[in-house]
Amino acid sequence: MLLANHPLLGKTITGDTASKLTIRAADDVARFSLRIDPAAIQAAGAAFGMPLPTRIGGMVEAGGRMALQLGPDEWVLTAPVAESDGIADAFAALGETHSLVDIGHREVGILVEGEAAALALRSAIAFDVEAMAVGTGCRTLFDKAQIVLIREDTNRFRIEVWRSFADHVWGILHAVSREIALGL
Amino acid sequence: MSNFRIAGKGRVNRSRQLRFTFDGVDYNGFEGDTLASALLANGVHLVGRSFKYHRPRGILTAGSEEPNALVGSNRGNGRFEPNTRATVLEVFEGLKTESQNRWPSLTRDIGAVNDALYMLFSAGFYYKTFMWPKSFWDKVYEPVIRNAAGLGKAPTAPDPDTYASRFAHCDVLVVGGGAAGLAAALEAGRSGASVILCDEQSELGGSLLSEPSAEINGQLAWDWLEDTNAALAAMPNVTVLPRTTAIGYYHQNFVGLCQRLTDHLRIVPDGAPRERMWKVRAKQVVLAQGAIEKPLVFAGNDRPGVMLAGAARTYLNRYGVKVGNRVVAVTSHDSAWHAAFDLAKAGVEVAAIVDVRGTVPTQLVAAADALRIRTLIGWTVTGTKGRLRVSSVRVNPVGAGGKVGGAETIACDALLMSGGWTPSIHLFSHTQGSLTWNEDGQMFLPGRGKEECRLAGAGKGRFSLKAAFEDGAAAGAAAAADAGSGAGFGAEPASYHVEGELSFTGVTGRELPTDLDPGHAKAFVDFQNDVMAKDIRLAVREGFKSIEHIKRYTTNGMATDQGKTSNINGLAVASDALKRPIPAVGLTTFRPPYTPTSFGTFAGYNKGALFEVTRKTPIDGWAEENGAVFEPVSLWRRAWYFPQVGEDMHAAVARECKAVRSSLGIFDASTLGKIEIVGPDAAEFMNRMYTNAWTKLAPGRCRYGLLLGEDGFIRDDGVIGRLAQDRFHVTTTTGGAARVLGMMEDYIQTEWPDLKVWLTSTTEQWSVIALQGPNARKLIEPFVEGIDLSEGAFPHMAVATGKICGVPTRLFRVSFTGELGFEINVPARYGRAVWEKLFEAGQRFGITPYGTETMHVLRAEKGYIIVGQDTDGTLTPDDAGLSWAVGKTKPDFVGKRSLSRPDMLAANRKQLVGLLTSDPKTVLEEGAQIVLDPNQPVPMDMVGHVTSSYWSAELGRSIAFAVIQGGRSLQGKTVHVPMPDKVHSATIAGMVFVDPENKRLSA
Amino acid sequence: MLLIRCPYCEAERPEVEFAYAGEAHIARPADPSVLSDDEWRDFLFIRTNPRGRHFERWRHMHGCGRFFNAVRDTVTDKFSMTYKAGAPRPSDEEIALASSAADSAASVKDARP
Ligand SMILES: [Zn+2]
Repeated sequence: MLLANHPLLGKTITGDTASKLTIRAADDVARFSLRIDPAAIQAAGAAFGMPLPTRIGGMVEAGGRMALQLGPDEWVLTAPVAESDGIADAFAALGETHSLVDIGHREVGILVEGEAAALALRSAIAFDVEAMAVGTGCRTLFDKAQIVLIREDTNRFRIEVWRSFADHVWGILHAVSREIALGL
Repeated sequence: MSNFRIAGKGRVNRSRQLRFTFDGVDYNGFEGDTLASALLANGVHLVGRSFKYHRPRGILTAGSEEPNALVGSNRGNGRFEPNTRATVLEVFEGLKTESQNRWPSLTRDIGAVNDALYMLFSAGFYYKTFMWPKSFWDKVYEPVIRNAAGLGKAPTAPDPDTYASRFAHCDVLVVGGGAAGLAAALEAGRSGASVILCDEQSELGGSLLSEPSAEINGQLAWDWLEDTNAALAAMPNVTVLPRTTAIGYYHQNFVGLCQRLTDHLRIVPDGAPRERMWKVRAKQVVLAQGAIEKPLVFAGNDRPGVMLAGAARTYLNRYGVKVGNRVVAVTSHDSAWHAAFDLAKAGVEVAAIVDVRGTVPTQLVAAADALRIRTLIGWTVTGTKGRLRVSSVRVNPVGAGGKVGGAETIACDALLMSGGWTPSIHLFSHTQGSLTWNEDGQMFLPGRGKEECRLAGAGKGRFSLKAAFEDGAAAGAAAAADAGSGAGFGAEPASYHVEGELSFTGVTGRELPTDLDPGHAKAFVDFQNDVMAKDIRLAVREGFKSIEHIKRYTTNGMATDQGKTSNINGLAVASDALKRPIPAVGLTTFRPPYTPTSFGTFAGYNKGALFEVTRKTPIDGWAEENGAVFEPVSLWRRAWYFPQVGEDMHAAVARECKAVRSSLGIFDASTLGKIEIVGPDAAEFMNRMYTNAWTKLAPGRCRYGLLLGEDGFIRDDGVIGRLAQDRFHVTTTTGGAARVLGMMEDYIQTEWPDLKVWLTSTTEQWSVIALQGPNARKLIEPFVEGIDLSEGAFPHMAVATGKICGVPTRLFRVSFTGELGFEINVPARYGRAVWEKLFEAGQRFGITPYGTETMHVLRAEKGYIIVGQDTDGTLTPDDAGLSWAVGKTKPDFVGKRSLSRPDMLAANRKQLVGLLTSDPKTVLEEGAQIVLDPNQPVPMDMVGHVTSSYWSAELGRSIAFAVIQGGRSLQGKTVHVPMPDKVHSATIAGMVFVDPENKRLSA
Repeated sequence: MLLIRCPYCEAERPEVEFAYAGEAHIARPADPSVLSDDEWRDFLFIRTNPRGRHFERWRHMHGCGRFFNAVRDTVTDKFSMTYKAGAPRPSDEEIALASSAADSAASVKDARP
């Protein structure tokens, strides 16, 4: 296989202490955009191997796979890279009308972790990040870049961003982490 | 150097002495000083020259409302800011400052000749003076005015600072950290609500910082303040933001705060932002912004050394600085008496208190008597003297019936004045809350609000400390209760016991009475814009009746201070001149920002590399390493051309073109928009969206698609491949990707929700490598698995999935050059590796990377249009020569109905045609206008313009496209392109210049 | 920046996530070919452009992606209500009910001293 490459490959920002703020590029994952009538969600869950969330913003995680509902008929599914073909095959066999599109290379994951994680995100996200429930996600804007934000834990967020917008998001996070390290 | 610092007074840190300069002179100050307090401590009152008349000006106030004392501040390393208010600029070691609007020096300013000519510069002088001759405006008047007027000089170097921004959501935002704001924050904080408390000063306290002898609940004010600071700091739910100005209040309790982070630091840490814009969404807002003291309007009220009484009191009590050695106070309000008392008690000689009122509270007179201060009750001030600093004040008794008696002159080196106080209602006004006129207090007070907002304390006319505390506490408690319903909310607010209240009565009026000619009195209303009372009266005499018109004609209140000290005085004068009550004259609108705010704060992170998103393809890094010159295309940066050593753009593009036509070129087409359209109704959806017919397109084949708006004009185009019965791979223009997806979503969601079809953007899923040239197939054949590349199995406009270099690919046999070509889609993370592998293997064919310019030339040689360059939103398919792409038998598609509207069928529509210049060496300018008769009189009848124009190395001549009225019927005709140097002529031609039979596509 | 309630997400979200999309309740004719030139012109270009209550389309562009409808006052910029695409134009009573619910949640303070 050829060398894989993306804008943030191997990058990390560590604040003055790692517990306060660490920002790093996430490991690659397989990603799919699933579009399906919500009435057929159970069958889709069966194909994916776990029940899918049933309200916008809802997220389900199990066995290294994650499903997040972004819109009334839109889910994003992630899984370990090696499981990509299996997921595509499973949905190809799904009887219900749907659309499954591989977006694994479209996006880059960024992990924002630490006590100051929410504070760092507040620099460029307009909605109330502090009030976001753990285990939920949504599409939103980070400065001028559209992202998907997932709150994996109180102090751990994951940003999914189209690869050509990743540098911009990273650049702002870099500036923000410096402010936070300086206590400003 | 004189020392006006008073031992034992003030809050400045005497153990931290700081050196700074003003106009090149070294001075000392202390930590905690502003530039104004430090200059006054050194006996410096003269700090600038006024805007219009270049009159010497001093320090009027002690706060952000300062109209006069504007300086240039230099914080080193290119950090220069003009028009910084000396009253808010915190002194630090090494600070350099300079006065403005003077030449050659502050004390000898040639511009001061304007002061002698003041009658020429009265209200509306621009409109009256510079009307004629018209030609003088650009060459004489404007340059001279621009040179002479204006205050500070704009910095010439780029701003080296960085700026930050932050969103915040809270239950209660308290604006202002004085008595009312602190009480509000304490109540709201104790209730458990999330609270943000901001204050524009370096420390909390507001007027309490100038009020050390007041006692609050048995504690001296500063002790209470210390405990309160600690109490607030101990509450994790309370965020305290000093040095933070609330600059604007918008719908739904959205408030902008500008926080100054590093301006007060001597050493700014690397990467530390200068300022941060907070964008706060508060459930409830408490405005506790206090009140601003009004000047009195009398001749010479702008002389250095004349200042507001409350400011003098602040300089004494907060900074330990006496503003003079022998002062006089003139007032219409009690508060100036307290300033005079405090100064007298600190050992300053108070020569007199002049009160324009007929009677004043007896306890004030008694207190003055006890301090042996002369009181002149019912007197007026009619002038001041002193060239660069006040040296005396002229006072007169006012008899019964208003007759002004004989003058007396009192020597002084500072004159304190007070015309009463104006509640600071600016932010409330931003919300379009109504204001009501309070006749007793001669002030506007907040009326009905439009937002979830309360006002408290002096900002709502409650001037006593006790009232401010209790008002603030009530507002804070109620705001917290309204913000949430959880436990702890809605407790009974605390009560406050205050000793040492000041008395706070007074009257407000127009100009002080005088025995001199008021028509010549230099009695200033707006200090920053140099507007005098007589200017406002002149405006009224000349027929202006609305305060909004008077404001614009006189410029009263239009300076950067937005009339914080001048609006009410201006209104009082206008009201008197118009013989109408103040509320009938009205108040001008306050607008954000509350105080001048740097551009950087608004920009936040968006400067330099982060100014805008710069999208780069997976192959961008290779292009950069290989010397590409880039051009921006929408948000993308794209390789424009790849110059070799010694090549200019022309040579590079000619070489790149030749390589593609003769052997092999490689091009990064990753920015092409891509949309995956999936579902059983995919073909039906395509039929409805695009002009072309899709039903019969077989899987594995591609078609050129043309997209119109409902108005019938071309919106986008691209090659579309059918991957399966229910799956299309659509490409769009680079710039049109998001727009096309949005338009398609609109139709699916709102017009045809019954269609079973979904759209997914895959622009960034795929890297696209275009291989173009007669050797393209030979190059890729050994790398491709699972696709038969032979002409018969994989002809022009075929698409297939398989593998290339071991990774998955969607391989398109397409050409935007007219040569045999492929567009190789590979998953984005492998784009660069596949590119490098093909580039290496292509060396035997002389593979040549080419950029967007060569791509443009090659496609133009073949007559392929670029939507957005050759079309401009007014071209129909027929105008563009694309009728062949319109499915005539389809019953409907987006835009079809518009194509038969009468105007769309007119014969003289502009049509896209080819253009060949008579001189083959002439490359026309894109955008150049076209005429039929070059000898007609100007303005000529322009029949069209050039849309694309290039040098074609293949043809050894220039080629162009143009839109021309009825162009297709003018084939072979000569048209003319008048340019500044000469008129070019050209012949209208077809659009295909190279290989019209398309033989090369299948070579 | 306004807060706009997305009827699909059932949440108030910041204005930057949304895009305006023109006047609402202008359905594309089922068969445009039967329309006269004037009727088609009206469909394309003629809008009410009212001072005051306006029925308009928005898209939760950087959110759930859905187009929806809103009732907004063009003078005060205040949204009375939002509702899903395809739902009928709300009646005066429904709008009054929705905006009074919004008002009681956000009661206007009398700031009079
Ligand atoms: Zn939504």
